Amino acid sequence: MPSFDSLMESHGVSRRGFMKFCAGVAATLGLSQAMVPKIADAAEQLVIGTTSGVLAPALWLEFASCTGCTESFASATTPDVATVILELISLNYSETLSAGAGWSLEEAMDQTINATKTVRNADGSTSTEPVGYILIIEGALMEGWNDNALVIGGEKSTDLIKKAAKNAVAIICAGDCAVDGGWQAASPNPAGATGVEPYLKKAKAAGQLDYDIPPIINVPCCPANPEHIIAMLVDYLLLNKLPQLNEYNMPSEIFGQTIHDNCPRRGHFENGEFVYEFGSEEESKGYCLYAMGCKGPQTYSNCPLVRWNRKVSWCIEAGAPCIGCAQANPNMADHGWVDLNSPFLNRFKHIGIGNFMFDPTYLAYGVGGLVALALIVHGFGMRAAGRTTGGADFETFRHYDLKHPDHPITDKPLAAEEASHLSADMQDEAIDEELKIAQPQLYDPKAAKKKGAAK
Amino acid sequence: MASKKIKMTSKTLSGKDLKAIQGSIGASQMTQGGQQAVIDPVNRIEGHLRIDMQVENGKVADAWVSGTLFRGMELVLENKEPTDAAYIAQRICGVCPVSHAHAACFAGERAYGIQIPNGARIIRNLVEGAQFLHSNILWFYNLNALDYVNPLDALKANPGDAVDLAKAAGTEVSDFKAVQSRLQNFADNGQLSIFSGNWFDSKDNDYALPPELNLIATAHYLEALEMQAVSSEISGIIGGKMPHIMSSVPGGTTFMPTEDKLADIKYRINRLHDWVQNTMVPDAYAIAPYYLKTAGTYGKGAGRYVAWGVFDTAGREMAGRYLPGGVLEDDLKTLSDPDETKITETTARAFYSDDGTPVNPRQGITQPDGSQAGMTSESEFGHREGKYTWTKAPRYGGKPYEATALSRMLVAYTRAATSNYDPTVSTNSAYQKGLASIKTNIDKMLAHLSKSAGKTLGVSALQSVLGRWAARAVETLYITERMQDWVDELIEAIREGDSSTFVKPNRYDGEGAGMWEAPRGALYHYEKVVGNKIQKYQIIIPSTWNVSPRDQSGVRGPLEQALIGVPVADLKKPLHALRTVHSFDPCVACAIHIAEPRSGQTFDTITTPFGGR
Repeated sequence: MPSFDSLMESHGVSRRGFMKFCAGVAATLGLSQAMVPKIADAAEQLVIGTTSGVLAPALWLEFASCTGCTESFASATTPDVATVILELISLNYSETLSAGAGWSLEEAMDQTINATKTVRNADGSTSTEPVGYILIIEGALMEGWNDNALVIGGEKSTDLIKKAAKNAVAIICAGDCAVDGGWQAASPNPAGATGVEPYLKKAKAAGQLDYDIPPIINVPCCPANPEHIIAMLVDYLLLNKLPQLNEYNMPSEIFGQTIHDNCPRRGHFENGEFVYEFGSEEESKGYCLYAMGCKGPQTYSNCPLVRWNRKVSWCIEAGAPCIGCAQANPNMADHGWVDLNSPFLNRFKHIGIGNFMFDPTYLAYGVGGLVALALIVHGFGMRAAGRTTGGADFETFRHYDLKHPDHPITDKPLAAEEASHLSADMQDEAIDEELKIAQPQLYDPKAAKKKGAAK
Repeated sequence: MASKKIKMTSKTLSGKDLKAIQGSIGASQMTQGGQQAVIDPVNRIEGHLRIDMQVENGKVADAWVSGTLFRGMELVLENKEPTDAAYIAQRICGVCPVSHAHAACFAGERAYGIQIPNGARIIRNLVEGAQFLHSNILWFYNLNALDYVNPLDALKANPGDAVDLAKAAGTEVSDFKAVQSRLQNFADNGQLSIFSGNWFDSKDNDYALPPELNLIATAHYLEALEMQAVSSEISGIIGGKMPHIMSSVPGGTTFMPTEDKLADIKYRINRLHDWVQNTMVPDAYAIAPYYLKTAGTYGKGAGRYVAWGVFDTAGREMAGRYLPGGVLEDDLKTLSDPDETKITETTARAFYSDDGTPVNPRQGITQPDGSQAGMTSESEFGHREGKYTWTKAPRYGGKPYEATALSRMLVAYTRAATSNYDPTVSTNSAYQKGLASIKTNIDKMLAHLSKSAGKTLGVSALQSVLGRWAARAVETLYITERMQDWVDELIEAIREGDSSTFVKPNRYDGEGAGMWEAPRGALYHYEKVVGNKIQKYQIIIPSTWNVSPRDQSGVRGPLEQALIGVPVADLKKPLHALRTVHSFDPCVACAIHIAEPRSGQTFDTITTPFGGR
């Protein structure tokens, strides 16, 4: 039997590369680096274990998708340690990823689903139970035209998921489409796209399932970040546990903090230094993209830490605002990230810092003042609210543009009607502010400079 | 024997719980006279494809290509803004998102009445180029090569002889012994079912390479996995992430890459160029002669070619792109500039509720009606007389056209003849130099093939399955050469103070079409914008051209035509037919997933070793 190292070697992976991988997984999972040897040990045990016959089967099913999650997962990193490990221990059943896969046929899927093992009970008797498998889903389910909008191998996608979920030990929904239908479910949802969790819950409520829905792990983003998927698989396969999940059944370690929380451009946000136009001087200075509609403050994901394509970059480093692709919502139909966040270049009224959403006009006088002051200076007319499941409102009137006609944020000239609404609105605000508290004095570098020059 | 051992491997697996990790070729008896071969789903393409073929006298007599998924991108984009469209539309395909982003940007820019700055043009060329490299390398080695290369056979090779052969063929000498022992390791390890259900034993019997060449190609197959990932890193560096880049928006690009990033990009491009030049192209030269008599003779298809062109030059004309646009017909004798008004689409045989009259996409509507879509499941092929797919049938001047890399190469080759290139003059434009380089490389390939064929082969000999992959090798080299130029061009532009990458719209009402290329062929996006909101969006992807169904007059699409006449000796493993499908590199994930009813027959797997894809 080949040793673990020679097996890895045969896949072109060095010991050093392997240890680096274990460290990466620990980081993505928010584990301490002290866990790295444990992960390495577990991996080694499992891989060696498999050669004596302990398989942890996984199915990767593709429904209505763009294959982007597959590309993202495998193509960008093949053949690296992760793929090797996952192939060796589990991913033996996938359309395009896995070695010798070609899952497509129901016979093979049926066998995996219905595989049983004999268990010896305490009283010495034996019984059989399902072997179980991890079910990874990419793509949306389609309910249009009696579920005929997607037919795979002669079966509707909805029938397939009901069958495939049955004996799964866990279902990993990779990417927004599997979580809540993704862009396909965006208005007008032409083909009745829906996510796995909402569909299974509906089916269960309608009495169409004769089993309990297995634990579901939603891993949003479009496409799913390969580091996230790998972390989930390793978490389960190597450390033998399901990750802690939040109310959206997303792993808390990964989707517990906003992009804003970890953004390298955060300092500029707090300084009130913003980008107002793509490719501008402000952009080249790495200023904050909030004014370009960045959804980082509302979007929960550790993208700034895990980055993309072998960590070479990520959206904001490319001068583009976060468009909130991690904001899939399995709990509420028609509130997917596309509908919630488009037009992508419009700003939300509300801003989140850490786990709190707040109105900077009030907070300006308390903790976190700098942030709020910066926003007030820039005229961002915010209103208080919590993170609303129904989605935050967009700033309908462009206060900033009215105040700064010489360099407006948006390009469209203000319509007369809009301008009059806007100025009335601003007058109200001015009164509000006057009543509440005097506007604090702000440091104005230009004025300071002039002052200095006068001296 | 090695192959036997490997087969047992798959049985070991089956004995447990995954009896057959099974693939997808089935065969059943045809009802009327001929025999019926069904490929379903076709593996090693991105997405699935259902092909029904009627086989008579050992050849494909008729073919139907159909799709069974409707997603509705065109409808989702309504009421969105053009910038939203650039971000959302690329999510139609995870393999060629950059092309969709750019076609959507073009459409938006036409509607806005603007042209992007020079810097943005070059940056877009770079990220588009990186995606082409990723797609072409992935296709050439990891999706297509196993139709020609048998890695199992490589176990029989003498690594020393492989070194000699590689040197003789001018391709890279890898550590063949190490690769062979890796292969052996795979074979020995009872866990890996990597070779299960392969087609190497197809009775079509056309795995013609000597063991040493199989070993060489297998070694390079592994390297290709790394190289295509390196290509994606370039897309990631510019685009922020890949798939689904963030950097291209109507008006230009979001940023100018820093010097640091440009250095990262340049290093990777040089690495890719060297690899393509020293490995991929020589491999194509080495392998092609063995298949001249088979893959070189079938799969011609429509015989008419469209390319809208890709990679803008400073002049920005479609016909003047680095890979120029053009329309070829009359057995390659007539070349004309693309004319958008000549494009029509009909839904006569597709699941839409309009009356099927062919209309220009600007007038086109998308009214899906899936009431007959269920028929493609287990129906008795009754759909053949009526609607049988979600794919609309695009036509140019009323006729079906092929849209592939071969289309681009044939158009470029034909244009080269009239580009007035003079190698003795240093003032030739980049466009002229580019065309000359393509012509030289194609002529070289043809001369090489002619030697093997024992007769002179003209450019029309490329109209075959073999020609499609030869064209991709030539194109890939060409793109790496141009990308080297573009990085320098961008650095030069920045040095001269031309670092603008974005312009604002002139207006918020208008309409426009983006005609561009995805790696798989001609791509078209159209949008009509009122008050910065999209009122109508229409898309024609390359695979829609290629896997088009019959039109209102019953004329077959290019792939349907290409399949007719392809030899089939093995109904269960119709290797030649599979090669024909693969040669079009159908990116049906772009439009639809395609699948097929279970036929209840024995199925076998088409596999990709090494966790490849």
